Amino acid sequence: MNAIVSIARTTFAEAIRRKVLFIIFLIGVTFLAVAPGLNVLSARQERTVLVGFTLGVIQLTSALIAIVLTVYLIPNEIERRTIYTILCKPVRRWQFFVGKYLGAVTALGVMMAAMTVLLIIVFALQQGTRDPAQLAPLAKGPLMFFFQMSLLAAVAMCLSAMVQPILNFFLTGGIYLVGTLFGTIFETFQENRGVHPVTKAISQLVMSILPNFGKFNVQNPLINPNQQIGNESMYYIGTALYGVVYIIILLLIGILVFERKEV
Amino acid sequence: MCVTFSTTVHLRAPNSLPLVFGLSQRDDRYNHAAIPLGGLRLGAAISIKNLTKTYTLRSGVKSNAVDGIDLEVQEGEIFGFLGPNGAGKTTTIKMLLNIIEPTSGEATIFGHELDDMTVHKIISYLPEKPYYYEHMTGMEILRFYASLFSIKDEEKCEGLLKKVNLYNDREKPIAQYSKGMQQRIGLAQSLLNDPKLLFLDEPTGGLDPIAHKEIRDLILQFRDEGKTVFISSHELSDVERICDRVAIIKKGKIAAQGKLEDLLQGGRIEVTASDVSESVASTFRSSLSDGIVSWNGGRLIVDVPDSVDQNSIIDTIRSSGGLIQSIIPRRKRLEDLFVETVSDDRPVQNVGGAS
Repeated sequence: MNAIVSIARTTFAEAIRRKVLFIIFLIGVTFLAVAPGLNVLSARQERTVLVGFTLGVIQLTSALIAIVLTVYLIPNEIERRTIYTILCKPVRRWQFFVGKYLGAVTALGVMMAAMTVLLIIVFALQQGTRDPAQLAPLAKGPLMFFFQMSLLAAVAMCLSAMVQPILNFFLTGGIYLVGTLFGTIFETFQENRGVHPVTKAISQLVMSILPNFGKFNVQNPLINPNQQIGNESMYYIGTALYGVVYIIILLLIGILVFERKEV
Repeated sequence: MCVTFSTTVHLRAPNSLPLVFGLSQRDDRYNHAAIPLGGLRLGAAISIKNLTKTYTLRSGVKSNAVDGIDLEVQEGEIFGFLGPNGAGKTTTIKMLLNIIEPTSGEATIFGHELDDMTVHKIISYLPEKPYYYEHMTGMEILRFYASLFSIKDEEKCEGLLKKVNLYNDREKPIAQYSKGMQQRIGLAQSLLNDPKLLFLDEPTGGLDPIAHKEIRDLILQFRDEGKTVFISSHELSDVERICDRVAIIKKGKIAAQGKLEDLLQGGRIEVTASDVSESVASTFRSSLSDGIVSWNGGRLIVDVPDSVDQNSIIDTIRSSGGLIQSIIPRRKRLEDLFVETVSDDRPVQNVGGAS
C-alpha cells in the first residue's frame, strides 16, 4: 500500500507540473472566465447559455487533460528509465500501474475541482446570487464528469500497456467519442424497424463492449431546471458504480498485459 | 533469506590492511582482490546457467540477445561486465532484475529465484542515465525511494546524502543538479536498502574527471563495506582499476571471463634501435610471427609478446651494427584484451575459471 501511495503522490506532483496540461487547463479556465460575455450571442436565456457553455468547456478540457496525461504515463517512465529504479525495489508491477493511475486521477480531480469552483463563481457573479441552493447543484455535472474522465483515463491506461502513445491518443479519443454519442445512435437503431438486423446486432455488440460515456452527461437538468431525473440520487450512485466497475475491469486488463510487457 | 558461507580462505592483497582494524590503505590505481569480512570468501551472489533471451524480430526471424551464458559472481567482489553496444549486457541485467523474463536457463541471486520478492529487498540497480523526477529535491527523491521499502528514516536519507557529498544540495530541485550530482543521487537511492548486491549500468558514463573519480571512489567504498558490485561499463580504465573479475560478452555469448590478473597475462615488449639495415627488419618480419616490425630510414621498432626471447632480438640488432635505443615492456591492458576479444572471431574462452 505504501508503494501505491508513494507512486500516486509522485505521479500527481509530476502531472500538475506538466506544461502541456497546464496550458490545456489555462485555456479551459480562460473560456470559463469569459463565459458571461457569451450571452450576447444567443437570444436564449442567459442562464441556459452560461451553464451549457461552461459545462461543455469543463467536459472538453477535462477529456483532453485525461487523455494527454494518461497516454504518456507508462511510456515516459520506460523511456526515461525511471521505471527500472522503481521495479527493482520491492514493488509489484500492479502496484506501479495502480499508483500511476491513482496519481493521474487525483491530478485530474484537482484540476476539475478548480474549474468547478470557477464555474460557480462565474455563475454567482452573473446571476447575482449567493444562494447555496442554486449554486450547489451546479457541481453535480462536473462530479459526474469526474467519474466519466476517470473512466476515460482507465481506457487510456489500459491501452498504454498495449500500444504507442500517439496511437493510444487517437484510440482513446475515438472510444470517448463513440462511447459518448453511440448511446443515442443505438437507441435510434433499436427503435427503428427499418434498420437491418445485422446493423442492430453490431450496434448491440458495440454497446456491450464500449463504456457508455453518455450515461455521465447530466447537463440537461442543470441547464433546464424544469427537466428532472427521476430518483436522482439512485441515478447518480448507479452511474458512478457503473463507472467504477468499468474502471476496475479496464485496470485489471491493463495490469494483465503490463505484467507480461517487456519494458 | 539463506546464504551459504564457504570457508575458502581468500588471500589478501599485500597493500590492503584488514578491515577489522577499520583501516583500508589502498591505492585505487591497482586492482585488489575482494576481501570482505576478515578475509573469508563468501558464497555466490549471482549464479547464471545457460541463460538465454530470444526475441522475435518483425520479419519473424528469432534473434538471441543473450545466448546461453554461464556466470558466477562471488559475494563481496566487484565484477565487470563488458561488451560492445548491443552485446546483451543490459538485457542480462534486466533478466537478473526480473524486469524481463529469460527465454530459457537458470539464474539465482544469493540462492533465490529471480521472481522472489526477497531478492528485491537486498539488491539495487542504477541504470544508465536515469531520469529522476525533476521537481523533487535530492532529499525528496530519497524519501520517495525510501517509501518504496517502507523506510521512514530521515537520518538515513541525510546520512546517504552526506556519503555521496550532496548534503548541502539536498534542498535543491533535481533539475538544478549536474550530471555528476544526478549520478550521485542515483547511487544514494540505490543504497537506501543497504543492498548486498548493486547493479551499476555505466555508472561513470559521460561524467567529468572529478565526478568520475568521486563515483569510482564510492564504488571502492562499497567493496570495503562487503557489498557485491556488478558493473556494466565501457570505461575500461575504471573497470581495470576497481574490478576483481570481468566477463566480456559478445553477440550474446561470453567471449572471455576470469580474474583480471589472469586475463591480462602476457604483455608486450617494444625494442627500438637505430642504424639498422632493412635486411635485419626483413629477417624479423619473417621470423617473428606475433611481432609487429616497422623500419624507416635505419630506425627499427620491434613489438613482440613478452614470451619471445628478447636477448636474441637484441643480439641480432647489435651483431648487425645497430644501436639499441630503448627496451620498453608494456603490460597488457584491459583495452587490449577487450579489442582483441570483440574484434576477432575467437570462440568462447574461460580464463581463470568461472569463479
